[in-house]
Amino acid sequence: MEGTLNLVGFGLSAIGPAIATGMIFAAYINGVARQPEARSVLQPIAFLGFALAEALALFGLVLAFVL
Amino acid sequence: MLASVRSATEGDGFVPPGTKDFDLPPIIEGVEWFTKPVLLVMVSVVLISVFFVLSARKAAVVPSKFQFAGESIYGFVRNDLAKDIIGHEFMRFVPYLFTLFVFILTNNIFGIVPFLQFPTMSHVAFPYVLAALSFFVFHYVGVRKHGVIKYIKDIAFMPGVPKPVYILLTPIELATFFLVRPLTLSLRLFANMFAGHLLLLVFILGGEYMLNDSLLIMKLFAPFSFLFGIALTFFEFMVQCLQAYIFTLLTALYIAGALADEH
Amino acid sequence: MSGNREENALWSIFGYLISGLLFWGGIGWAGDRWLGTTYLTLVGLLVGAGGAIYLVWLRFGRE
Repeated sequence: MEGTLNLVGFGLSAIGPAIATGMIFAAYINGVARQPEARSVLQPIAFLGFALAEALALFGLVLAFVL
Repeated sequence: MLASVRSATEGDGFVPPGTKDFDLPPIIEGVEWFTKPVLLVMVSVVLISVFFVLSARKAAVVPSKFQFAGESIYGFVRNDLAKDIIGHEFMRFVPYLFTLFVFILTNNIFGIVPFLQFPTMSHVAFPYVLAALSFFVFHYVGVRKHGVIKYIKDIAFMPGVPKPVYILLTPIELATFFLVRPLTLSLRLFANMFAGHLLLLVFILGGEYMLNDSLLIMKLFAPFSFLFGIALTFFEFMVQCLQAYIFTLLTALYIAGALADEH
Repeated sequence: MSGNREENALWSIFGYLISGLLFWGGIGWAGDRWLGTTYLTLVGLLVGAGGAIYLVWLRFGRE
């Protein structure tokens, strides 16, 4: 076996943002399905939430290679 | 082509598949560049040409099965990809998008066709060239539409921001458009094909190794490995279609973005 | 175009985040190599992530 433990750590840390992204879009789809006219209000919020969660995941990816 | 067949048991112990399984020897001794992926690309070009020439040659109002198959692929690319995304100027880009989609799809599906069984796109050079083509196409379209200076300015300077913030944002925008887009485009396709082929190798070679093992319990569990390999083959088929679709979709999206009046 | 806006936006957000982190993180890493410090990479990564999220807000957040 060879390799670095960093990548195992990254794999574990990616679970969080994955669940977060799933929850964000679940809530977004739910909201739009219940009230289609709310789409324009909900869309920016969903995208920003996605960006924040995704930033954490990519942060972990970069740090796994840098550290 | 049989040069690629390898056994799971080299020496003693299981040899896990790795990058070396993608370095195939030349088919003809002495001709270094003529390896299996190159042959597959040539085969795919011939196959695609023959299929579409045959399906379009005797075009009739009531289509034959052949014509129907060819036309539904074309209709899918034209209506669902080009027309919906690019808008009213879409007809110019249909030939490129269609060629791209069919070429990638055929070469991906080679990964699960018996006896061929090698996805061409798992050699990173092929996706690089395709992404470079797409990169060239969508920037050329944007420059033709807006002129060089306005096009670059539209990309680099987001309106409605105080001037000092441009130091922070402009490099990110430029890096996105000129570096990250072609890179992610090619690497996504490459990584999916590479990982998929590796996954199939793990289960099939692992099953073979277990079957040849002396322990009875290993022999008993070998069929499960093969079964899972077969299930994954169907999964791979889905991934291969999806990746061809995504590559074409993103190219269409980038072209639409370059054509749009404001980024 | 409304149906495809979401797909388009998600891919662009991903691209912005990657290029923000890579560009400013890369500058920080180069600064670390040059000056012999260790904290500039982290600063660069934070700046890049912040800039990318700001860019996402500018493009998709304010409607």
